[in-house]
Amino acid sequence: MPYFIHLLKLWLIQLRYAITRELAFRANFFAWVIVELAWFVLQLAFVGVVYQHVDSVAGWNRYEMIVLVATNQLIQQIFTAFLMPGLVKLPDLVRTGGLDFLLLKPAPPQFLVSTSSLEIGPLANAGIALIVVLSALHSLAITPTLSATFTYLFLVLAGLFVHYALLLALVSFTFWIVQAESVLLGYYSIFQVARLPREATRGWFRVIFTFAIPLLLVANVPASVLIRNMHITPILLFLGTSLSAALLASLFFYLGLRRYQSASS
Amino acid sequence: MTAALRALPTVFSIGLQRQLAYRWNYLLRALFSAVPLLVSWVFWEAVFQGKETVGRYTLAGLLTYYAVLLIVEAVSSPADDDFQISREIREGMLNPILLRPLPYGLYRGALFLSGRCAYLVAAFIPVFLCFFILSRVVHLELASFDILRGLPALFGSALLQFSLTLCLSLTSFWFLDISSLIFLVYSLEFLAGGHVFPLDLLPAPLFTAARFLPFAYEYWFPAAALCGTLSHREWQIGIGMQFAWAIFFLFFAYFLWKAGLRKYTAAGG
Repeated sequence: MPYFIHLLKLWLIQLRYAITRELAFRANFFAWVIVELAWFVLQLAFVGVVYQHVDSVAGWNRYEMIVLVATNQLIQQIFTAFLMPGLVKLPDLVRTGGLDFLLLKPAPPQFLVSTSSLEIGPLANAGIALIVVLSALHSLAITPTLSATFTYLFLVLAGLFVHYALLLALVSFTFWIVQAESVLLGYYSIFQVARLPREATRGWFRVIFTFAIPLLLVANVPASVLIRNMHITPILLFLGTSLSAALLASLFFYLGLRRYQSASS
Repeated sequence: MTAALRALPTVFSIGLQRQLAYRWNYLLRALFSAVPLLVSWVFWEAVFQGKETVGRYTLAGLLTYYAVLLIVEAVSSPADDDFQISREIREGMLNPILLRPLPYGLYRGALFLSGRCAYLVAAFIPVFLCFFILSRVVHLELASFDILRGLPALFGSALLQFSLTLCLSLTSFWFLDISSLIFLVYSLEFLAGGHVFPLDLLPAPLFTAARFLPFAYEYWFPAAALCGTLSHREWQIGIGMQFAWAIFFLFFAYFLWKAGLRKYTAAGG
C-alpha cells in the first residue's frame, strides 16, 4: 500500500508541473481546446447529417446517438489529458535513447512512460462533452437516478483502461519497428469503432470488438446505463474485458522492453 | 535553374530511400487507414436497414465512395511533410538547404513526390485487399469508374494538398508550435473535405457553400470524379476551382517563404 501512495505522490507532482507548464503557454492551451472541440463538432455534424435522412440507426434515435458519441468523447478527453501524452512519446524515447533516463528512475517503467506528460486542456473538452450528454438527456426527457449516475461515472473510468490498453499495445510496437509514429493514426482509426452502436454490428466484428478488444463496450455500456435500463451482465463483461485488455497490453509492453537497446552514448 | 532541375531526381531518390527505410511505418499507416472504411461499412449498413437510398446514394454507391477515398488519400495526402518543414524552420535545419542552388518549394515538392511513391508501394496491397474483400460482399458501383476525369482531379488534389501543407508549415517562421493549427485544418479537411461523408449528403445550402472552399477539392471532388458521379459541367467547374485554389496557395506559400526568410535567423553550424 505505501508503494501505491508513493506512486500517487509522484503522479501528483507531475500533475502540478503540467498545470504550471500549461499556464505558462496559455495561447497553446486555448488553441488545443479549440482543436479538440472542432473534432467533436465534426462527430456531432456527422450525426446531424445522418439523422437528416433517417430517424433511427440500429434502434438509437438522434439524441441517444448524441449521448453515445459524447460519452465516447468524454472518455477519450480524460484519457488524452492524463495518459495519452506520455504514451505517444514512447516511440521517440526509444529511437533517441531517451528511455534510458526513465529506466534509471526508481519507479516502474510503465508507470513513468504512462504518466511522464500530462495535458490539462482536454479536461475543458471533457466538460463540454459532459454538458452535451446532459443536454441530450434533457431532450430525451431522462433524469438519471443517483445510482445510474455513479455507475456511469465508474464505467467512464473503466473505459480509460480500454483506451490505455490499446494505445500502450500500439506504442509498444516501437520496440520492434524503429519509426512507429503511425500507431497514433492507428489508435484514432481503431477507436472509431467505439462510436458505433453495438446493435449495429454483427458476426465476427461484434465478437472481436466485444471480447478481444472491447471497444464496442467502452461508450455503449455507460451510455446505455443512462438511457436504457441497467443490466449487470454487460457491465461485468465490460469490467472483465477492460481489465484483461490492460493486463495483456502491460505484458506486451514488458516483452518489448526486453528488446530495448539504449541508443544514446 | 537547369542545375536545380537536374538535382531534383537526386532529391527524389534520397527522399524515397529515406521513406522506404521506414516501410513498416508506411505499411501500418496504410493498414490503419482501412479501418475507417470498415467502420463506415458497419455503420452505413445499419443506416440503410429498410432503406434503398440515403440522399442520392445506395449502400453500394456510398461504400464505393469510401473505398475510392482510400485511393485518393494514398495518392494525394501528405504524410508528415508539414511537421518536417516546421522542424526544419524551428530547429535551424534550413541552413544547409538554403546554401544549395535549389528552390525550397521544388525541393519539398520532390520529397513530397517521393513520400507519395513510397506510400503507394506500401499501400498497394492493403488497398487492393480492401477492394477485393468489399467487392466480395457488396456490389461496388465501379461500372461508372471514370479514370479520364479522375486522374486530373487526383493530380489537382495532390497539388492542392501540397500547396496548402506548404502554407501551413511556413507559418513556423512566426510561431513556435504550429501543431494545433495543423490539427485544426485536418478537422476542417475531414468535415468540409468529404472525408467523413460525401458532401452531397449535406443540406443543399451547406453543400453549395462547401464547394466554394478548398477542402472540397482535396477529397470529395477527386473521389466523386473517379466514381463518375459528376456531370461534365460539374467536373469542369470543379477542376477549375481545384487548380485555382492550388495556384492561390502556391503563390501564398511563395509570399510566406519570402517574408519568413527575412525573419529567419540561421543559428548553429
